[in-house]
Amino acid sequence: MTEPETPTAERTQAAKVLMGMLGALLLGAGLISVLAHNWDDYPRSIRLLFSFLPLMAAQAGSFAVLRREVPTAAWVRESLALLQTLATGACIALVSQIYNLGGEWPDFLFWWFLLCLPLVWVMRSSAVAVFYLWATAQWAVHQSDNGVWYQSAMIYPLLLAGLFPFWPGWRFDRPLSIPLRWVMSLSALIGLCAAAYASVRGRENDYSFFRHADCLWVLTAAALMLLPMSRAGVASPLRQKPHIVLGGMIVVGVTLFATMGETTGYWTRAFAKGMQVPWAWMLIAVLVVFAIMALNARRALLVAVAFASVILVPAVIGVEAQVIQWAMITHLFLVGVASIGVELTGRKGAPILGTLLVCALVAARFADSTQSLLAKGITFLIAGAALLALVVIAARRTRPTS
Amino acid sequence: MKSAALIIFAVTALAQLAVPLWQIRTHEQVLEHGTIIRLKCRAPDPYDPLRGRFLAVSPEDTKVSLSTIEALTHGKSIFITFTTDADGISHPASRVAVPPSSGPYLRVKVAYTLLKECEFRWPFDRFYINEELAPEADKWFAERIRKKDGVIAEVRVLGGRAVLSDLKFEGKSFREILKERVKRPGS
Repeated sequence: MTEPETPTAERTQAAKVLMGMLGALLLGAGLISVLAHNWDDYPRSIRLLFSFLPLMAAQAGSFAVLRREVPTAAWVRESLALLQTLATGACIALVSQIYNLGGEWPDFLFWWFLLCLPLVWVMRSSAVAVFYLWATAQWAVHQSDNGVWYQSAMIYPLLLAGLFPFWPGWRFDRPLSIPLRWVMSLSALIGLCAAAYASVRGRENDYSFFRHADCLWVLTAAALMLLPMSRAGVASPLRQKPHIVLGGMIVVGVTLFATMGETTGYWTRAFAKGMQVPWAWMLIAVLVVFAIMALNARRALLVAVAFASVILVPAVIGVEAQVIQWAMITHLFLVGVASIGVELTGRKGAPILGTLLVCALVAARFADSTQSLLAKGITFLIAGAALLALVVIAARRTRPTS
Repeated sequence: MKSAALIIFAVTALAQLAVPLWQIRTHEQVLEHGTIIRLKCRAPDPYDPLRGRFLAVSPEDTKVSLSTIEALTHGKSIFITFTTDADGISHPASRVAVPPSSGPYLRVKVAYTLLKECEFRWPFDRFYINEELAPEADKWFAERIRKKDGVIAEVRVLGGRAVLSDLKFEGKSFREILKERVKRPGS
């Protein structure tokens, strides 16, 4: 079946896929409910057989689809893959019910998503990919408190690697849909933050570490922002790059907040403690590698935004909170101005975001009660004059010569 | 590429069948050959004795003594042995590093440790019942809220695994009590 080309055909195709998924979902749920209704009336052997029937039927359907020489419609693949996923979970859950087995639901979830991961690859199923991403993030959050490292959220990066063919920026047969990108980015952010928390949690008998996972979360968001992308990915609009949107919101939000006098102290202490964990240095190493790759791809502005989070790192060697505060304010201001200024040189910048950033900085300085009005006034006058001078110079340079 | 996809699918399908089959095999062995231990359960919360269509089962004993002070990690698996009192009720006796050669023992997970005591989580916490019996169970618990008589959980134990085979009250299966109540309303 050839890929549809017109927008109308694409919408029809998407509607078919969604309808098929819903049908599979309802079918699976209905089967489970009907079979489990009068469980006690059947002997155990019959109940066990009924538990396996939906799974075997779904497997037979998927196998028939995979064997076909002619490519199958997307809605058929998605429906069967989702049905098989649900039937797998239902089978395990029903067997547990028959034997009154308890246990933790994250253990059940773990085996469920692991058993369904290969369906993402062989059936090319976005529905199962969404389930996998949701399930791994859920599992990671729940397991962030588990003291045994191989049962904790620390293995989340390995689980995420299971979707390697779906990683953004890598070449695969067709681009990921925007909803799937958002789900993937959210799952990655949540799961990696849970893994970071688990690494801090592992340091027993020092409960202060619990409060300082915050710094690891900011560094995780920064690393996510700088994830390497293909040229096509870099050129695509921002709404198609949710990892940059989500990561950027956290990095800029936290660093803006950290410029407020009252909170700078908290964040410098958080980084001073948090940077003592090996996971933090691993994140810094990843950030540096990603930053080099981003600079090679001419994404300097993105690197500048992400590195706002790194300005807090010197707190680990005892740099004063006030010094770090001013360094962050200066950095964010320069990033904001550069985002606008780059447009004046004819290259692609981010003027709206830059303006918003500078306005947010100004508002934060007004709200910061630890600095005097005189200091604020002088700073604003100098900054304002510098911006106007910049615009005048740029206007003169771009004025057409008569 | 197609043959690789078929091979991966075949392995996946087999694994999806193998996991529940393995569950069945191990737990059938426990039910057939396991030692019965009886555990006294706490009176369930009368406002929420049911979640969905199962009864929340909560054995009274959730602590075991340790031979030395040790800090066990939350979630770590340990083995515990049992003693039986004059009423035939089993109680956790001690934590052992390796499974003993005789006597029932169970693998449980650590909740936390305090000095020479370890709080653990039982590997079962629910008893499924038919949805038509569920409202009757709710009424039964509400009638007995002030009574101290506990429900006894009959558990089969083998090789560190446990299967909750029945819940009994005054020597009678709880399912049978509920079925009789449904047949004779008002009793």
